[in-house]
Amino acid sequence: MIRAINNLGTYVLTSIEEVGRTFNLLLIIAWKILLPPYQIFPIIKQVYFIGARSLTVIIISGVTIGMVLGLQFYNTLERFGSVGVLGSAVALSIIRELGPVMTALMVVGRAGSSICAELGIMRISEQVDALECMAISPDKYLVAPKLIAGILCVPLLNFVFNVVAIGGGYLVGVVLFGVAEGSYVNGMIDSVVWADVRLGLVKSLIFGMLITLICCAKGFYLHLSKYGSQGAEGVSRVTTDAVVISSISVLFFDFLIGALMS
Amino acid sequence: MKSKLSAESNYDVLELSGEIDLHYSPELREMILGSLKDGKSLLINMAEVSYIDSSGIASLVEGFQTAKTAKLSYGLLKISSPALQVLTLTRLDRVFTLYDTAEQFQSHL
Amino acid sequence: MENTSAISIRNLDVDYGSRRILSNINFDIRQGEIMVIMGGSGSGKSTLLRTMLGLKKPSAGHINMLGTDICHASQKELYKLREKMGVAFQGGALFTSMSVTENIQLPLREHTKLDENTIQIMTRIKLDMVNLLPYENLMPSELSGGMKKRAALARAIIMDPKLLFFDEPSAGLDPITSAELDNLIVMLKESMRMTIVVVTHELESVFAIADRIAILGDGELIQIGSPEEIKSSTDERVINLLNRTPRENIVDGDVHLQRLTRDNQ
Repeated sequence: MIRAINNLGTYVLTSIEEVGRTFNLLLIIAWKILLPPYQIFPIIKQVYFIGARSLTVIIISGVTIGMVLGLQFYNTLERFGSVGVLGSAVALSIIRELGPVMTALMVVGRAGSSICAELGIMRISEQVDALECMAISPDKYLVAPKLIAGILCVPLLNFVFNVVAIGGGYLVGVVLFGVAEGSYVNGMIDSVVWADVRLGLVKSLIFGMLITLICCAKGFYLHLSKYGSQGAEGVSRVTTDAVVISSISVLFFDFLIGALMS
Repeated sequence: MKSKLSAESNYDVLELSGEIDLHYSPELREMILGSLKDGKSLLINMAEVSYIDSSGIASLVEGFQTAKTAKLSYGLLKISSPALQVLTLTRLDRVFTLYDTAEQFQSHL
Repeated sequence: MENTSAISIRNLDVDYGSRRILSNINFDIRQGEIMVIMGGSGSGKSTLLRTMLGLKKPSAGHINMLGTDICHASQKELYKLREKMGVAFQGGALFTSMSVTENIQLPLREHTKLDENTIQIMTRIKLDMVNLLPYENLMPSELSGGMKKRAALARAIIMDPKLLFFDEPSAGLDPITSAELDNLIVMLKESMRMTIVVVTHELESVFAIADRIAILGDGELIQIGSPEEIKSSTDERVINLLNRTPRENIVDGDVHLQRLTRDNQ
């Protein structure tokens, strides 16, 4: 019993410590990116890695989600004889909720895991120490470009996701089930207001920062975690943790932002 | 690092002294390449060089390459023992032409 | 100048959590000497190296390095000092996303505004010194362990540091490469006036390169002295280390039984 309480205590303490460390990293980077030298090329490289290389996944999942939504909403709305609002139903769900969340989850799986693993491997193979010893700040040199790229890419990918998902809904609703094209498009244009777009944008910006920050911090601080001395296995475990924690954070913050902004 | 560039009849003499490191080697490079650009052969007096790092050596190497392409003579005069050690370490002692007196250099012109 | 200290370590204690790794370490490393820090695994020599590099904060004590107290220096002061330091890590710690050349040039590109030609020639000079010139465009993943080590050395000396740290230079190398590396270390000291700190547990090269040797055991400095002094040491732990005598475990029957069955009561 005492042991259980003891373990719980340790767990809570290390968790708090880790959250503190993660946000400290954010503050350090926010301060250091203001100071020269500016790392333009590494940011472009990371934008390519996080953004461009995730496009395929985003497009495929966007179309699929759009089609599923179109199908589900059509079946439901048909019962009430109101298929005319299909366009706005699809668009609102995508723009407000599914777009930001699905994009963030896809980026976690595609790029977040490899960011975390890359930094973890650099940590255990002493590459981070080597940078430090060359008087090159590893947080600025390694983490900052990834974080900036994450904040830039997730909203952009979200935009792509929204477009193809609405297209997917159109495909099912208009092309397959014969909903009038005018009512799909016009219903959508009439019902989506700036507040919806703003909500989606705020969400995807925060998600982008959150997931890259968590994945970076997990890998970068591998040596401080309990997996620190486990070599390759430590990298794989910390990567799993990073994916799980960033996914859950996305869902939690989705609710939080939704509650605060509406 | 201190340096003095003086012109003889048909060649330049660059006298170097002190420590040549990362901070001074760009200056050294400018002087060497500037002198060679004017189409004059160059003799570098290194008797008073107490330390030279690899950026300094790199400047000497680039000068030598430039001189060769321009078919100019290029020599190191009375090289000090610290500098010679670095040249030996980098296996460049057999690449450069080393002279003990300016007359030797003149006779090679 | 020959006898002034490049590094002086005073009353150094280092802990990991509640475990004391190093206790009350005191010694000096003179300018222009090769100091070999020796000890078996668990002796604390890696921790001492990490502390000297400023990667691990000590619990007490001071390390003065070229006039900077690295235990209490600001990051700016520390980084300024580190531009005069080179470190070759055990496994090389080369950046896997960059070629050998890019790895070696990184410090120059980050810290200097030298001309491109100068950077190229400097890189080739250093690659040639470690016999890696033919491999300049390879990626680290294409190099053997020994080549990685040599590339790491080339990167460590690219800025002509005043201080060079070398972690396990000969571990895992064939005898010839190892001897070449030893030779190079001595040459670097003699012609570039570097102060060199080598951390190793390999006996072969120690006596070939060391000006002085510091022997660590169980987190304490056992002995420090010239190779001759170490060879003629009367300290049992030093003799055991040099003769490769296995550590003797004093076996108390009861204690041992308890050790083996502790969790099954």
